[in-house]
Formats: sequence, C-alpha cells, structure tokens
Amino acid sequence: MITSDNYVALSAILFGIGGVGFLVRRNVLVTLMSIEVMLNAVNLALVAFNRARPDNLTGQMFAFFLIAAEAAEVAVGLAIVLSLFRIKRTVRTDDADLLKN
Amino acid sequence: MGAQILSLFPAANFSLIAVILALPLLGAFVNGVWGKRLGNDAVRVMALSAVGGSFLASVVTFIALASHVDAHIEGDHHEHVKLAWTAWQWMHTKAGFTGGNIPIDVRFSVDALSGVMMLVVTGIGFLIHLYSTAYMAEDPGFARFFAYMNLFIFAMLTLILADNLPVLFVGWEGVGLCSYLLIGFWYEKMPNAAAGKKAFIANRVGDFGLICGMFLLASYTGALDWTGIANGIGSLKDTTQDAYLIHVWPVGGGQYQGIFSFLQPHNPLTITAATAVGLALLLGCTGKSAQIPLYVWLPDAMAGPTPVSALIHAATMVTAGVYLICRLSFVFTLSPFVMMLIASVGAATALFAATIALVQNDIKKVLAYSTISQLGFMFLGVGVGAFTAGFFHVFTHAFFKACLFLCAGSVIHAMHARVHDDERAQDMRYMGALRKHMPITYWSFFASTLAIAGCPLTSGFFSKDEILYRSWVDHSVNPFADVLTRQKLEMFVPPQWLGPALYVVGVLAATLTAFYMFRALFMTFWGDEFRGWTIGRPSLVAAHASDDHDHHHDDLSVPGAAPKESPWQMTVPLIILATCAVVAGLIFNAGPINIPALHSMDHWLEPVFEPVARTVRLSEGAEGLTWPLAGGGILAFIIGTGVAYWMYIMEAGRPAEALADAAPGLYRLLLDKWRIDELYDATIIAAVDALADTSAAFDQTIVDGIVAKVPALLVSLFGSILRAFQTGVVHVYAAFMVIGLAFFGWFFVFPHPAATVTAVGKDTGDYIVTAAPGMGYQYRWDADGNGQFDSERTSDQMSVKVHLDEGKTQNVRVEATSAFGFSNSAAIPITRAASVKPMQLGLN
Repeated sequence: MITSDNYVALSAILFGIGGVGFLVRRNVLVTLMSIEVMLNAVNLALVAFNRARPDNLTGQMFAFFLIAAEAAEVAVGLAIVLSLFRIKRTVRTDDADLLKN
Repeated sequence: MGAQILSLFPAANFSLIAVILALPLLGAFVNGVWGKRLGNDAVRVMALSAVGGSFLASVVTFIALASHVDAHIEGDHHEHVKLAWTAWQWMHTKAGFTGGNIPIDVRFSVDALSGVMMLVVTGIGFLIHLYSTAYMAEDPGFARFFAYMNLFIFAMLTLILADNLPVLFVGWEGVGLCSYLLIGFWYEKMPNAAAGKKAFIANRVGDFGLICGMFLLASYTGALDWTGIANGIGSLKDTTQDAYLIHVWPVGGGQYQGIFSFLQPHNPLTITAATAVGLALLLGCTGKSAQIPLYVWLPDAMAGPTPVSALIHAATMVTAGVYLICRLSFVFTLSPFVMMLIASVGAATALFAATIALVQNDIKKVLAYSTISQLGFMFLGVGVGAFTAGFFHVFTHAFFKACLFLCAGSVIHAMHARVHDDERAQDMRYMGALRKHMPITYWSFFASTLAIAGCPLTSGFFSKDEILYRSWVDHSVNPFADVLTRQKLEMFVPPQWLGPALYVVGVLAATLTAFYMFRALFMTFWGDEFRGWTIGRPSLVAAHASDDHDHHHDDLSVPGAAPKESPWQMTVPLIILATCAVVAGLIFNAGPINIPALHSMDHWLEPVFEPVARTVRLSEGAEGLTWPLAGGGILAFIIGTGVAYWMYIMEAGRPAEALADAAPGLYRLLLDKWRIDELYDATIIAAVDALADTSAAFDQTIVDGIVAKVPALLVSLFGSILRAFQTGVVHVYAAFMVIGLAFFGWFFVFPHPAATVTAVGKDTGDYIVTAAPGMGYQYRWDADGNGQFDSERTSDQMSVKVHLDEGKTQNVRVEATSAFGFSNSAAIPITRAASVKPMQLGLN
C-alpha cells in the first residue's frame, strides 16, 4: 500500500531535483521549469499531509491557491524571459547581470 | 465721557486695549506683506492710521482710566485701579517654594503708570511716523521701514501694557528684535549690520538677567502678574524661612574641607532672596536701558535711520528698563543694596556718558551719549527711591530727546542734500549758521536744548532737579531690619556720604550736559558762516576745481544745493515736540513749584508707588533744603551754558582747540569713548573668541577627525564586503536564496532552547524560568537541578517556578523538542545572593 510517507518522500525527491536544477542549470527556461518542479513538490506534500488528516481541507485548498500562484508566476516569469531575450539576445542566466549598477 | 466708556467696556474686561495693540500689528502685517505692491502712498496711509488710531484709542482709554480713578478717590487717598483685558490663557507653571500653580495669561492692563507710557509711545510714535514719511520718502525700503516701525510700536505697547512678566518679556524681546531690524535697516553696509548684531547681543546679556529674575520671582512669590507679585512679596520679607536666604559663599551654606578648606571664608556671604531678584532684574534693566556695563550698544545703534534713533533709542525702548524698575518698585525697595547699586550705576553712567559727549563731533553721537547720560539720571532717580521723579524724567526726556533727534535728522536731511556723504552730513564741524537756513528746526532744537540742559521752567528742569534733590535727601529704610536683627545677620546700610556724593555727581553731569548740548547747538546752528560750502558732490567739486584753475579767488565754496528747511511732515512734529518739551514740566510738574489745579504727576502716580512710600523716607530737614539743592541744578545750567557760549561763540572754538592741544592724551581718550569697546574686545570678546577657536579646533580634529571618520571607514569597509555579493547575476542570487532556505530548514529542524529568569517580588527567593518560544517546540524541565529531567514526556509547559535559599545556586535545565523529533537542552544557572548582614565584632 502506498502510504503518506511515500508521497512525502517523492515530494522531497522532486523538491531536491527542482532545487538542484534551479542551482546548476544556466538556461532561464529550465530554471523556471525547476521552480515549477519545486512548487509542485510542495503541492504534492500538502495534499499528502491533508490525506493524513481528512477532517479539514486546508492542505488541498492551499494546493489550489498554489496552482493559481504558479500560473501567475509563469506568466510573469515568461514575460521577463522574453524581455531579457530582447535586450540580451540570450536566455542564459550568466548573462542576466542587468541588476548590477 | 469716561463713565460712558466704562459702561461700554467694563474695567475688568476693557477690550479697547485690544484695539490699541492690534492696530500697529495690523499695520506691520499689511506693510510687511503687501507693502511693495501697495506703493508708498498706501503704505504711508496704513502706517499713519495704524499708529494714529492706536493713539486715539489710547486717549480714550486714558480718559476712561482717569474717570475710573476719580470714582475711586476717597478723600486724599486714591486706590490703585487699573483697566484690564485678558486675551487668552497661555500656560501654567508650578511655583518653586510655595508649590502653587501659577497661571500665565496673555493679559494686559492699564494703570496710572502704563497709561502715561502708553500715551507717550503712541503719541510720540505717531509724530515720528509722520516725520518719517518725509524723511524716508526717497528710500527704496519705504514699506519695510514702516512695517518694522509699526511692529516696534506693537512690541513696545505689549511691554508696557503687559499685566505679567512673561507677556512683558515678549514685548521686551520684541523691541529688541525691532531694534536689531531697524539699526541694521541699511544692512548692505557692513558697519550697520554689525551695529544691529551688537545691540542684539548686548541686550541678550541683559535678557538673561531678566529671565533669571523672572524665575526667582515665580519661585519665591508664587506669582508672575503684578498684583500677584505684590501680594506674594510678603514671603520675600520672611527671612525666618531659610529658603529665602541665599548662601552665595560658601555655595549653599556648606563647609569646604580638606584641601579646599582655604576657600572657607571668615564671614559667610548670605543675601536675601530680594537682593538676588533685584540684582537679576537690574542686569536686565541695564541691558535695555543702556547703563554701565551694557551701554555699548546704544551709540552704535545710531547706524539706523535717524527717526529710529528718535523713537527707539531715545523716547521709548530704552526707557523700558526704568519702566520695569518703576513697575516692580516694591520688589527693588526690598533690597537697599540693589537700590544703592541702581543709584550708583545711574550716577556713574550719567557722568561717564556726559564726558564722552563733550568731544564728539558727530551730532548723532552727541545725542546718543546724552541719551545714555539722561537714562543714568533716571536710574539715579529710581535708585534713590524717587520713582515718580525718575519716571517723570522718562516722560519729559521722551519729548525733548525725540525732538532733538528729529532736529538732528532734519539737519542731516538738509546736509545730505548738499554733501552726499553719510559721514560728513552728520559732522558738526561742517555745519554752522544753519539757523538762517532752517529756522523751525533751529528753534525746536533750541527749545529742547534748554529743556535737556535744565533751564528753569522747562520740563527738563523740573524732572532733573527733582531727581537731584531726592538723591540728596532720600534714604531707604531696610524693610528687613527686624528679621535681620533677630537672626543676628549683618544688615546692609548705605553709607552716609552716598546721598551728597550722588548729588554732586549728578550736578556735575548736569553741568556737562548743559555744556555739550549748547556746544552742539552753537556748532550746528550758530556762527557766521556755513562751513559746508567747501564740500559738495565729488563730481561737481572736480568740475569746479578745473574751472577755477586759471583765476584764483578767495571764495572756496563749490556749487551745490544750499541747506534748506524740511517739509511740513518733518517740521510739524518738531514744533509739537518742542512745545511739549518746554511746557510739559509746568503741566505735569513734580518739582518745587506745584500747580494744584492740574493733576500733578506726583499725585497721579501716587497709588502706583504707595507700597514703596513706606520704605523710602526723606531725611530730616529735607524741606529746608528744597531751594538750596535746586540751586545746584540752576547753577549747573548757567555754568554749562556760559562756558559753552564763551568757548564756541565769544572765542569761536579756540579755547576748545587749545584744551585739546594741551591734553592730547585725554582728548583722544574721550574721543575714543574711553576705549571701553576696545576693553570689551580685549577681554570678554577675546575670551569668547578663544573659546570658539578651541571649540572649532576640537570640532575639526576630534569630531570631524575621529568621531566622524572612524564610523565612516567602518561603513565603507562593510560596504565593500557586501558589495562583493552583489554580482548582478541572477544565478548567484538564487544560490544565496537556497543557502538561506537551508539555514532556515536547519533552524526549524534542530531546536534551540533558551530561557529567561524573572525574580518574583523583592528578594523572596522565588524565580520564574520561562523558555523562549519556538515553532512546534515541546519542553521538558529539570527544575530542581538534580541532573534528571522531572518527567519522561515532553509537554507544552513553557515555564517553571523555582525557589532558592540565600546564597544558593541551582542549575535549571530545559530541553526543547522540535516537531521533527530532534531535541536539545540548555542549562540556566540561577544564583541568589547572600543577604548582607551588618558585621559584628565579637570582643567577648
């Protein structure tokens, strides 16, 4: 039987993959995707914990809010990526140093 | 008519005072804000109507006051009555020794004393405003000038009409400010701006004294309004209470021990509170009224336009000190020492300033020193307890000195039209024979000179002779005599020779006054020839010189306007003031000749100075000395005038030159005003400068060098470290975020217990140990300190109570467990100090 622990473990693994990807990949798009993976790992954990406590639905509700937030984040993030590409003709994070000075 | 006014404005709420005060303020506001746009005509109308309206309201108020006084006369004695108006309640303060609450209201009142002053200020103020409309007509700062002048009238009225010391102080500072603004009116010139500053700073020294006096009065009498101070004055007399004696040396009445024992005096110096109050107030009065040692600002104040000198530095502002002494006469007379000091300062100033005036060539300088000298006479008068005489001299002096200054202004105006040089337009050596050119100015100046020199039957004769007479015969009775004797304290008794000495100094000063005033008159208006013909506009002089190159002739005169009489706006005030200067003494005389049909000043002011009458007595045989002593004043006039006539008319100035040549050192010394300014520069100002230099050096080396630089270095160091992290690369920021997140994760997973200890009550031995909260923490406690936790299971219990015996230490431990099951513990040692018992020496 698949227990909550399995779900939480999967969530942790996904979060780790996302975190490492976020740190090591240089492509902005991939970075964004890594963030999505991390967020979805959190979503998974929320829903899994909620299953352990079925008397309230806070975890599931929270997950819905997170999905909405992710959608917004992606919309803004992609717009930023497009802007960056227009200015720099690149999507590599190493070249995204416009914040300095 | 007076009764009708009083039915309209009751005495307790006499709101007409508001009109007197508000009109000049309104004038100052309108002229100050819109003056430039309104144009000179509108400014003139505004300024004149403001002061004129204020004068009319003052007259109405005075009539009401007179009828109110009449209504309160019982037989020969009349009560001290006043008309009062409260604008609003200002603030409250606590009294020091009485502990009561002192309400300070913005309250104004008119009584016999302030009523006369009010008329003088607004009446003479109006005349001087009228004069100024012509005198200042060409000045670009016309509107600004009248804004300041109106503001000055407002401030002076506030000073006079104030019903308590704080409101008086507002006016006191207000006239100081206006004085500064008007002295430095032509501020483009450096000396004028410096003179304004000097006046302001010298006045501040005096103001410091006034503030101290005010605080002392509040704390000793528990009141700051005139009536309250008069009522509370009883406590100042009560020297049975130690608080009312001030131990000056040793400070606070203590003992100096050890190496400081040489400071212990043989006779401790103790003064009464009344003396302390009197000294502080006297400092304030010497500042405003230009007495030794603070007189130095007044001669320099002549840098302002001449009407300003007439209004501020002769007729009104400088009399504020004398007014304050009169107003608080019942405080000053409590201290015979302070009274003696006032009289001595006055006599010394009168003589000292007169000696300087002897040799000055600038007509305004002569008048400036004569003002200081006359103020000295007023101080002499009030100092010997002749308050009515002193105040009467304020009154007469206002007329003749205003007139003299306005005449000088008229002369300067005429000279300036020809000379175009500020220095030489005021120099009497370039004048002469002006009576032919400007007869009205001449006759006004002549009348006022007679008055100031003390010619019999003019106003100055009555007031000055009364002061001289009283300075000989008055002696004040120490109101503390009883208590001081009972307490076996030394009582100050003025020396016997003081009265005659003051009289002699006064007569000497009066002689010099007659001399230098007639010297000024002769040099300016008499003589056969106008000496200003030889100077003219520089351009014209140059042209003239080249024209005359070939044909020499003896006439050295150069073309240019001849001095001529001033317009009516200037001469009418002169005529009025000169008339008053001559007849004011007859109308309101306080001297030996009394006209009972008219209210004499003596009788009119009697209720104001009634409390003082008990402490100032005439010495025996004073009645018989009336005429012999008056003879001294008359003799002073005759000698002074005669010598001046001989020197400057009969011998045409040759004896004066001979004298100057005979004693060149003394002549230079007098011309340099005894070099007192230089003395102040070398001592006080040099000391302040040295302090300022030291402070500047400290500021530059220590403050700017170390205190400011070290933190700046630290900040820039940290800045350069932190700047290294700001790569601008998104990726690096992301890495820092992850590191931070990891730290938070670690912090939440592994607990960090801590606890604070609170003692219950004072030294009960009970303590409460409270653990710091943490997210999801569960706690276990080891409260008894035995190394074992008190329970196996963790709980939500965040605090335990511990009891300790004296001198014991206990190691309380707390263990926190996070939601992830990790736990950690911390030890909190608690020590209770052993109580300190008095040490016992066992000798048994």
